[in-house]
Amino acid sequence: MAEQAMRPQMMGARVARVEDPRLLTGQARFLDDIQVPGMLELAFVRSPYAAARILDIDTGKARKLPGVHDVLTFSDCPYRLWQRTEYQVGQPALADGGVFYVGEPVVAVVADNRYLAEDAAEAVRITYEPLTPVLEMRAAILEEPRRVHAGAENVFFHRSHRTPGFEQAFADAPLHLTATFRLNRQTAVSIEPRGTAALPDPASGRITVYASTQSPHRMRSDFSEIMEIPEHLLRIVVPEVGGGFGMKANTYPEDLVVVAAAIKLRRPVKWVSDRMESLLADVHARDDIHDVEVAFEPSGRIVAVRDHLMADGGAYPAYPFSGAVGETSLAARVLTGPYHIPHLATEIDCTYSNKMPLGAYRGVWGPVASFIQEGIVDRVARRLAKDPAEVRRVNMIRPEQFPYRNAAGAVYDPGSYGESLERALDLIGYEERRRLQRLARESGRYLGIGISAFVEPTAMASSEAGSIGYEACSLRIEPTGKVTAAMGLGPTGQGHETTMAQVIADQIGVDLQDIVVLHGDTDSAPFGGGTGGSRSGPIGGGAALVAGRQMGERLKTYAAHMLEASFDDIELGNGKAWVTGVPSRSVSIREIAEIAYTDVKRIPPGLPIGLELVARYLPTRSVSFSNGTHIAVVEVDPPTGLVSVIDYAVVNDCGQLINPTIVEGQIHGGVAQGVGAAILEALRYDDDGQLTTTSLMDYLLPQATDVPRMQIAHLVTPADGEGGMKGMGEGSLIASPAAIANAISDALEPFGVLVDTLPVTPRDIIRWTAQSGF
Amino acid sequence: MKPAAFEYFRASNAVQAVGLLQQYREAKILAGGQSLVPLMNFRLSRPSALVDISGITELARIVPTAHGLRLGALVRHQDLVDNPMVRETIPVLAEAAAHIGHWAVRNRGTVGGSLAHADPAAELPAVMVALGADIVVMDAEGERKIPARAFFVGFYTTTLGSDALIVAIEMPRPREPVGFYEVVRRHGDFALAGALVEAGESTGAVTWFGVTPAPVRMAWTALAEDEGLRRQQWERLTRDLDFAGDEAFRRPLAVTVAERAYQRARGGH
Repeated sequence: MAEQAMRPQMMGARVARVEDPRLLTGQARFLDDIQVPGMLELAFVRSPYAAARILDIDTGKARKLPGVHDVLTFSDCPYRLWQRTEYQVGQPALADGGVFYVGEPVVAVVADNRYLAEDAAEAVRITYEPLTPVLEMRAAILEEPRRVHAGAENVFFHRSHRTPGFEQAFADAPLHLTATFRLNRQTAVSIEPRGTAALPDPASGRITVYASTQSPHRMRSDFSEIMEIPEHLLRIVVPEVGGGFGMKANTYPEDLVVVAAAIKLRRPVKWVSDRMESLLADVHARDDIHDVEVAFEPSGRIVAVRDHLMADGGAYPAYPFSGAVGETSLAARVLTGPYHIPHLATEIDCTYSNKMPLGAYRGVWGPVASFIQEGIVDRVARRLAKDPAEVRRVNMIRPEQFPYRNAAGAVYDPGSYGESLERALDLIGYEERRRLQRLARESGRYLGIGISAFVEPTAMASSEAGSIGYEACSLRIEPTGKVTAAMGLGPTGQGHETTMAQVIADQIGVDLQDIVVLHGDTDSAPFGGGTGGSRSGPIGGGAALVAGRQMGERLKTYAAHMLEASFDDIELGNGKAWVTGVPSRSVSIREIAEIAYTDVKRIPPGLPIGLELVARYLPTRSVSFSNGTHIAVVEVDPPTGLVSVIDYAVVNDCGQLINPTIVEGQIHGGVAQGVGAAILEALRYDDDGQLTTTSLMDYLLPQATDVPRMQIAHLVTPADGEGGMKGMGEGSLIASPAAIANAISDALEPFGVLVDTLPVTPRDIIRWTAQSGF
Repeated sequence: MKPAAFEYFRASNAVQAVGLLQQYREAKILAGGQSLVPLMNFRLSRPSALVDISGITELARIVPTAHGLRLGALVRHQDLVDNPMVRETIPVLAEAAAHIGHWAVRNRGTVGGSLAHADPAAELPAVMVALGADIVVMDAEGERKIPARAFFVGFYTTTLGSDALIVAIEMPRPREPVGFYEVVRRHGDFALAGALVEAGESTGAVTWFGVTPAPVRMAWTALAEDEGLRRQQWERLTRDLDFAGDEAFRRPLAVTVAERAYQRARGGH
């Protein structure tokens, strides 16, 4: 027992985040804090048209303004994203003869500071010949009103899938329903906007690029491949990043321009996006239409689902990941969610349009699939006048069905599907809520309860962060016994410095404060896939665990040798190694480190000098599924169209938890974003293709007062990979929009309302309810 | 999001500020900066000069008068919320001010600035119209009063000349209970619709904001006790409102906010 007490388990502990003191006291250094002597600032001239030919660009006046160093056009920066053959179209770093969306970078101005750069940007004269914009998905599929890119069909991605026997099963089912679902455009809106700073070093010939990105190594590869800069001459450094949510997993045209300008001018150059630019030109997400048909039985059992998935990919495929392809092709793979629905037919069309390219936003396909699948279940329940919870029970995948291959071929590892539903119903007090709902309706108040059971594909071999299926951790015990770990992750607030240290601490038996976790610097971190797709916990954590275990084994070999004991009898903890049952026979890790680095003649035979290693971890599963259930309680005020989320319960199963406090923080944030997705956030283009939501007065984010208190419970169905962790970065935003949408449908059941579009606005609710005598 | 270049002057009194407005065509008054500065950052507003009046302390006072209160143009929104004289004399002013933006905005934004900006969905212009305040302005000719009901003429448009400065607002103590209600998607947003209702024994008036290009006040002589009938009356009153092509959404909202403001005036919630 005494030995156990000496060895606290960090894995699973509610450890305070080591990142928080610097963040909360304003000491963290973000991209805009990077300031070096001689640094210039860059501003973009962006397209005011959704579609136009460029007849002339006159930079003469701008060049003559005070403090202006250069004005760049495409010829100064002749690079395209997607030079490879996946798509027929690649976005130029600066417009090349035409513009394809409002906000597209056309000209870049470099000046002493941002004020002067913006003054000069105004002085650039561009003559456009406007064209009819392509803005509507269904028309675009039919090549109407025209092709976005003359040389490419509007449908840039098409795929279909059908389970054998689908048509027969669909036709044979006794009941059918149809629905069209629509998700409006959103974007991530990180608190810290994007930004890039490039610092050429004339002495070494190298260039250091500071970037607010999730994928430092991928960005280095991109610069190297697209701009033909030798990889060893590039260093990417990711400072503190204030949120990414998938949006910062891309390499953007602006990144290429900043690097090209710095190389051309041989000066450090920085660009930081302002909020208007970020709403215009950070990748958008969620512009989807789903035409759905469902076949089901009187019991509520769903037999077959047919879905035509359409996504408006914007003017170009974002690089290196088109959100339209992600949201559709991957949604099609999880469209049956946690339910055993044997038959599925999906047809996918991703189209070009004259809008900002679609990229990744937290959950990507998950929130889309959940909104469809949970909408389907609630429609079946409504049609059959059954309790929505009951219809979920009827269809839920049962424990004995794991590993479960769904109708799209995705294999689910074991989870707590039915259990999470029952636990969430308990947590919210479902039956009592139903009783209160009936009472409230009698007094003219509209309460609604919405259930959303979800699956969350995590730790995928390929994600928006890249197609690196593994993660790496270099681990070094310094000569004094302190520990330095370095990883290729790109955290944007997730607390990896804390969680990865927790994983390592348990394996090598040192205190948390004796470990530092470095990340986001390609000069110090081993090549890795970055952060995205809920991979950092399970894959990054797995790499940290394997590195820690290998280092632990090396320490035990030392200790066994020094203490003349058997390897198997050595335990590690509290900065020491000792013989099991004889704590007085011990040696400190510091003493081991001294031998490893300085007294090297005493190193046990067969071990290398030093205490340093790199471990890589590639999960054997190509994807691991987390799961859970969210239940939202809302009150809808039909006369004003306002929705308040008044209570909320989450049951989450992400396997082994590294740090429950951080997991719960992720859930809080995801539910907050779900409130935004469900009732507030929408990017709106007008009929000319102008984005009308270019400030945070128009693009409404949830405020603290819009976010409910949440009850959170954890279930643990360990993954079979290292550490038993599953990813959990996205599940809360996968589940929450559907939970709130279903709660609104439930509240407005007396009006026959079933929500089919996100977000739900006051305008919608007044339209649905105003004619009914209120 | 950086403003175009401008000249900057800090006025030490109202007369000097008015002089600078005369001298610099296209100059703008800078008070709290909560509307003007964002517009300048978007380069939607490009004043040649800013005349900063925030140091003129005599414009920041709240003084009791025979009929009510005189608010200096520089009184901050949060002062309206907190000031005991305001809460005592014109409680609905304090209540309405609490709905303006967030604390940080209210700490800087000023009464005069809100009125001069004349956002159709802003609370304070509607309060002034409802209560029949006089807006005291100064130009080269000296001081004069413009009734609030003749001040707001449309979207962001007032009868204040470009060379005139709002120095104060004279507000009468309301004779009848006044209820306030607004619909916002998030606390602190500009209203989708709002209303102030003065509810006398038999007569009264409703002032709408957020649904039309400027606040509109309509009086009635008899209001039904029955809620259903009263809604029909609100409905009839809304027929004279210019909903600028958005009737299906705004008319039902206008009826709702009028009814809810009325209920609050009558002591309900």
